[in-house]
Amino acid sequence: MKAQLGVLALAIGASAAVLGICTLGYGLYRHDDRLLRTGRRYVLFVLLAAVLAVGAMEWALISHDFSLKYVANNNARGTPLLFTITGLWAALEGSILLWALVLGGYLAFTVWKFRERATDPLVAWATIVGLAIALFFFALMLGPAQPFEKVARVPFDGRGPNALLQNHPLMAFHPPMLYLGYVGFTIPFSFAVAALITGRFGEGWLADVRRTTLVAWGFLSIGIILGAWWSYEVLGWGGFWAWDPVENASLLPWLTATAFIHSVIVQERRGMLRVWNLSLVIATFCLTILGTFLTRSGVINSVHSFTESAIGPWLLVFLGICAAVGIGLIAWRADRLRAPGRIDSPWSRESAFLVNNLLFAGFALVVLVGTVYPLLAEALQNRRLSVGEPYFDRMTEPIGVALLFFMAAAPALPWRATSGRVLRDRLLIPAWAGGLAMVLAVVLGADGFVEVLTFGLAAFALAGIVRQFVLGARAQRRTASVPIAAATVRTVRGNPRLYGGLVVHVGIVLVAVAIAASGAYSTKRDVRLSRNQSATVAGYTVTYLGSERTRSAQKQTVKARVRVEHDGSDLGIYAPAISIFPNTTDGIGTPSVRTGLVRDVYLTLVSSPNERGRVTIGVAINPMVVWLWIGGGVIALGVAIALIPTLRRRVVVPVVAEEAPAGAEPAAPRESGPPREPEPVGA
Amino acid sequence: MRRRRALFAVGLCGVAIVAIVVLAVVLSENVVYFRTVSEAVNRRAADGNARFRIAGKVVRGSLHDTAHGVDFELTDGKATARIAHRGGQPALFKEGVPVVCEGHWGSGAVFDSDRILVRHGNDYSPPKVPDHQVRSGTQNAMAAADAVP
Repeated sequence: MKAQLGVLALAIGASAAVLGICTLGYGLYRHDDRLLRTGRRYVLFVLLAAVLAVGAMEWALISHDFSLKYVANNNARGTPLLFTITGLWAALEGSILLWALVLGGYLAFTVWKFRERATDPLVAWATIVGLAIALFFFALMLGPAQPFEKVARVPFDGRGPNALLQNHPLMAFHPPMLYLGYVGFTIPFSFAVAALITGRFGEGWLADVRRTTLVAWGFLSIGIILGAWWSYEVLGWGGFWAWDPVENASLLPWLTATAFIHSVIVQERRGMLRVWNLSLVIATFCLTILGTFLTRSGVINSVHSFTESAIGPWLLVFLGICAAVGIGLIAWRADRLRAPGRIDSPWSRESAFLVNNLLFAGFALVVLVGTVYPLLAEALQNRRLSVGEPYFDRMTEPIGVALLFFMAAAPALPWRATSGRVLRDRLLIPAWAGGLAMVLAVVLGADGFVEVLTFGLAAFALAGIVRQFVLGARAQRRTASVPIAAATVRTVRGNPRLYGGLVVHVGIVLVAVAIAASGAYSTKRDVRLSRNQSATVAGYTVTYLGSERTRSAQKQTVKARVRVEHDGSDLGIYAPAISIFPNTTDGIGTPSVRTGLVRDVYLTLVSSPNERGRVTIGVAINPMVVWLWIGGGVIALGVAIALIPTLRRRVVVPVVAEEAPAGAEPAAPRESGPPREPEPVGA
Repeated sequence: MRRRRALFAVGLCGVAIVAIVVLAVVLSENVVYFRTVSEAVNRRAADGNARFRIAGKVVRGSLHDTAHGVDFELTDGKATARIAHRGGQPALFKEGVPVVCEGHWGSGAVFDSDRILVRHGNDYSPPKVPDHQVRSGTQNAMAAADAVP
């Protein structure tokens, strides 16, 4: 019943996609507006089909219907409800279902958003591309990755989800967030392809997809940070990022998308970088498909690839088609893509953006090479090797520091050109703050050139951002005497894109500081302790008090009780644990983390009590890690602010020479760039 | 103006070339090869002090605690190597399990390891892995989840 319903839904989805593509295509060919209006409605059926299929799968999971192979493999009677629901994305077939659902949602939203422009060829072409991508994923589920396959003999109980995936509630958030990010980039890709096909690669399509791109970027950022958090809270090795191929797979599109978000502004302002922007959008989408290939095809065996599956070649072919279409279209339109604008001075906002983009592209290249090199070496030369973490660390460190510098400096640079005086006025205070922070860091005992430099640049960037907010609020108060808080709100509402972007920058600063501090100043040691025995690691005394076993339908757990003391004060009792799930013989550790604003105490039960009652406990002291998660929250807040619709300005703020915050040139007539959006684009 | 653009283009190409050379050098310095025990034993002279990963099964009865870690033998069925490991071990490390150690040959034909990776959840990853593949399994077969001591 559920299986039939699911397969029916998938068939409806695939047919709706085909019909939509044909109707829209024929409508475009015949210039028939009626067909274009009808064609776009098929998107709704695609969404409904995906909802129905996901509903059927969730129904099967919640009712423990083990006649479905997917349910039998990823659910058990003892699985708690939360992990029964998250079972949808605990393995390949279900996660493709989730993909289809998210894609259906994005497509339906886009069609709804452009309902007034249904007959616009740009929108029609974009819908066709989106539907074609949806068709591919529905085809995957009807072919090599069938979620609704039945088992020959219905087992009494299922195997349950992968033990690692039923051990922490973050499992409910990390994958959907990542998918909302990954899949969202389909929309800018569709519009980029549509812009190339229709020949309207001015700035219109960029404005059309600006918000969707930002939403996707925000979700991807949150998804990556939640993934790091999950890794930190579940995997128990004390860190959150190991340059694992699956981590890199999520980072790659983030890097190119971040570059795109910035270079879009240059194109909107100055009409430059058209080919570059198109390439970035196409690269971002292709990298999401590459990431899916790396994580889902079984080519890399990890927690993300549960079984070897036949979808690898499908994804590779699809990736090839997408890349070929993108590159081919750009080559075909090459002669018409020449940008009207050009960079006047190296000391300008646009050239800073250009450098930032090159750095992001370089970063992505470094990560890409390190990630796929082992695969290529094995495929082409049959050599098995891996690329060590030092490669990634050494290559990305200088790029990261340079990016931090440009992130701090670029918002202070005016467009087109600048003078030394302007630069001095705008950067003097932040520079002092940066220098002071470096001195302070050294006094407080920080060593390592890169780390100290990172702290300095972080303060430099923060001071610059605070300065912009203060100047904006001050300008508001000059026109209307309102309290500071109200003035700040008005400032932000006047240019949410600029100030939202600056808030995101604050989040990035926090993340950078957390990465630098936790990477350089962590201490980790394994201690073997008998009952009531203590050991001291980096000033923290841990005492093993004993252990207890508990048993539930889901798992058996051994918990060690460990008292943690620091400077003579009792920090409480922590309980790192190891759990055994019925479907595996291996123990899954659950670290116990005492999170603090300055440092985390991270305890793992490395081995449960032996015959003599002795345990091995991993003790790690990780400074500043919590700021990574806080930074993630700040990034989300910044994205939310940037999405606030701009108010049309009623009050014309007088342009204050020199002191006007960069980018807040409200009423000043723009010198160049075709007028496109009602709001002043300033970030 | 033309001249400036040409200079800019040349400069950019120069930077790109330097960047690619640096990338290639750092990459080649950090490539860690993956060898089975017999491959590693055969190549001991050639490898010298170079770091690589060695894969095999922990021989039952060979595991001892030492002051800094553990001492054990690793086998792929054809050859056996003695491993001296410094540092912690992942939770799943025990006798008889397939593991990968990272390190280099030390003195007296002992492999000095400082990192052990244990293959995760045998009953989860590709269900039917023939035994010879487990022994020579690629580093990719090591779960991301594996404890890094």
